[in-house]
Amino acid sequence: MDPIYLDYAATTPVREEVRSAMDPYLGDVFGNPSSIHRWGRRAQAALEEARSTLAEALGARRREILFVRGGTESDNLAILGRVDADRRAGRPTRVVTTAVEHKAVLDAARAAEADCTVLPVDPGGAVHESALEGALAEGASVLSAMWVNNEVGTVQPMERIVTLAQEYGVPVHTDAVQAVGKIPVHVDRVPVALLSLTGHKLYGPKSAGALFVREGVALAARLHGGSQEGGLRPGTQDVAGAVGLATAVRLAVDEQGEFARTRRALREELEARLRSGIPGLVVHGLEGVRAPHILSIGIPRVDPELLQVSLDMEGLAVSGGSACSSGETSMSHVLEAMLSDGTPPAVVRYSLGRTTSRDDVLRAAEVTLSVVARLTSSARMSGSDVR
Amino acid sequence: MTEAGRRVLVAMSGGVDSSVAAAVLVEAGYEVVGVTMKTFCYSGTGDHGKTCCGLDGIVDARRVADRLGIPHYVFDVEEEFHRDVITDFVHEYAVGRTPNPCVNCNSNTKFRDLLARGTQLGCARIASGHYVRIQHTSGESRLLRGVDRNKDQAYFLWGLPPEILPRLLFPVGELTKGQVRERARELGLVTAEKPESQEICFVPTGNYRDLLERSLRPRHPALEPGRIVLEDGTSVGEHPGYAGFTVGQRKGLGGGYSEPLYVLEIRPAEREVVVGPRERLFSPGMVIGAPHWLTGAPTEGAAVEVQIRHRAPSVPGTVVRSTSEGLELRFVEPQRAVTPGQSAVVFDGDRVLGGGRIDAPVREEIPA
Repeated sequence: MDPIYLDYAATTPVREEVRSAMDPYLGDVFGNPSSIHRWGRRAQAALEEARSTLAEALGARRREILFVRGGTESDNLAILGRVDADRRAGRPTRVVTTAVEHKAVLDAARAAEADCTVLPVDPGGAVHESALEGALAEGASVLSAMWVNNEVGTVQPMERIVTLAQEYGVPVHTDAVQAVGKIPVHVDRVPVALLSLTGHKLYGPKSAGALFVREGVALAARLHGGSQEGGLRPGTQDVAGAVGLATAVRLAVDEQGEFARTRRALREELEARLRSGIPGLVVHGLEGVRAPHILSIGIPRVDPELLQVSLDMEGLAVSGGSACSSGETSMSHVLEAMLSDGTPPAVVRYSLGRTTSRDDVLRAAEVTLSVVARLTSSARMSGSDVR
Repeated sequence: MTEAGRRVLVAMSGGVDSSVAAAVLVEAGYEVVGVTMKTFCYSGTGDHGKTCCGLDGIVDARRVADRLGIPHYVFDVEEEFHRDVITDFVHEYAVGRTPNPCVNCNSNTKFRDLLARGTQLGCARIASGHYVRIQHTSGESRLLRGVDRNKDQAYFLWGLPPEILPRLLFPVGELTKGQVRERARELGLVTAEKPESQEICFVPTGNYRDLLERSLRPRHPALEPGRIVLEDGTSVGEHPGYAGFTVGQRKGLGGGYSEPLYVLEIRPAEREVVVGPRERLFSPGMVIGAPHWLTGAPTEGAAVEVQIRHRAPSVPGTVVRSTSEGLELRFVEPQRAVTPGQSAVVFDGDRVLGGGRIDAPVREEIPA
């Protein structure tokens, strides 16, 4: 059987249009955009063109886009840069965030050496509004909330969060890595102060990311050594990466409506098949709003580790919460925060891509059902406890 | 789906031996699934990947698996390893004995726990890179020493549950270490020139006292100072905790003693380390506690061969007493440094019959 890849929230291949857009900048047009000569000028023109394309796709202005190396760096710059800017200005420093953030946000918040408030979420993954208001009332350098959760696919009510934060004058950062191209993301309609995205989740290159910084939002640099990207991200820019990122984002935003409609239909079919075949199956995030491409489930009475391994052995590439190869099988912090006690520890995240077919989804359901049936019966036969 | 019985789980540590074990099985036509066991938490040792089982081991195993075109997974067995190996290791030192943690790992974690997982993954057999051989004949499976006598690891495998023997494969037991490295080079495996791991995997610095200090209650007697005494009770010095000593170890005492002194015994109740001249290290026999047999237990009066430490040859002896609680053996020639806590493994030629942990040497009276 051909293997099936349903782990597009982990990463995606670079799509053909993106590769061909990048190609000249890996070859002939190799100049350093900071150089004054014609090679430099051509590179700079391409870089700024990419910046415009990206800005336009998000509803931002060209100078509000910084090219950085990927989502993690973007999150770090947003949070640490905001805290540092306040610290230098002699203002109190404080970070407010949620319990379901990516580690790039949670760890950066901890590393910021500022007061930190981590807000609880409801079973749908949305922050508790009263807790949010309480935290905002104390003021903060930044409130960081993930737009679409990478493990469960739940969507934060960003519009409401931004409205509340504005009342208290707190700038909002959002990790929109899983949101762009999946749900409508427009920084004028939902006026966040800072927004992080990365290329490789939407068929762009890995290590190419961006940070939107609304004009007037003060940010301090984390790296030093040059004036590139307004001094906030010094170092020679990766022109090919920027072009690839911008092309990928533009395509993803253009196709978002169609992507969402078709992927949601496939996701629902997958969900229905799994539900009917696995007694006691838990679908995560049902109480909230979910992005169209992610399905996270909990399966009772099977060992999490053996489930992951068996699915791979049968040719189905999915994820057990979030990507990790070092043998960790403990429950993720996201699910811990969202779910009640007694939730099955065996978690599977399916994430659909633009090329995922109905056949892929049907086969994925079939493989899952047969693996779960086998593991459930062998666990029962051996009488072994499932951790 | 593959033919039943052809799917094998191979324990890959990221070293050259298990890499070649996997390669040999792939060549033999098995459907091989590579597994690295994560046995303890590496963060906090401050010594990432120094040993075979470290994270570097995982990465190397994965590279080898990719080269061989087989899947590779990491199994988290931290809880089981801690329960069955580390806890016992600490306890043995605490009571003044010298443990063989690799024996416990092989008896429990590496084969029994792996087999339980393998069974659920449809793997009929488990393989490892140990230098031992196994002969599967109708009705019984015999565990034998490896062909390479310098690398033979039969000493560490006496504790295997006998019922799992028919499901084990040891593909490098027929090879010498030189041949193993040669095969690894031919196959272009990244582990071909990897040095041997010597230390205990969960004590990568080689200093187990740190682990004992973290694991034992504060002021545990094993780590408190005590007296160094001669057999007649004469005090000849102080030691910083008896857990730092092992029987047979030479003890420099500085000043006054012309002949070298050796640790003869550890007396935890008195916190004493007993020392004496070399000739007092020899014992005519020993008692093994709770012996474990891969085949039937030998009867009283039986002539056997026994190995009392890693890399030592086996020596002839006679069974004096054989019950499920204990086995008493008398050596044909007195043996040096019979060390409580170490394994004693009983052989018939190359074949491992079973073994146990040494409880105590049989002592000769001090000559009048």
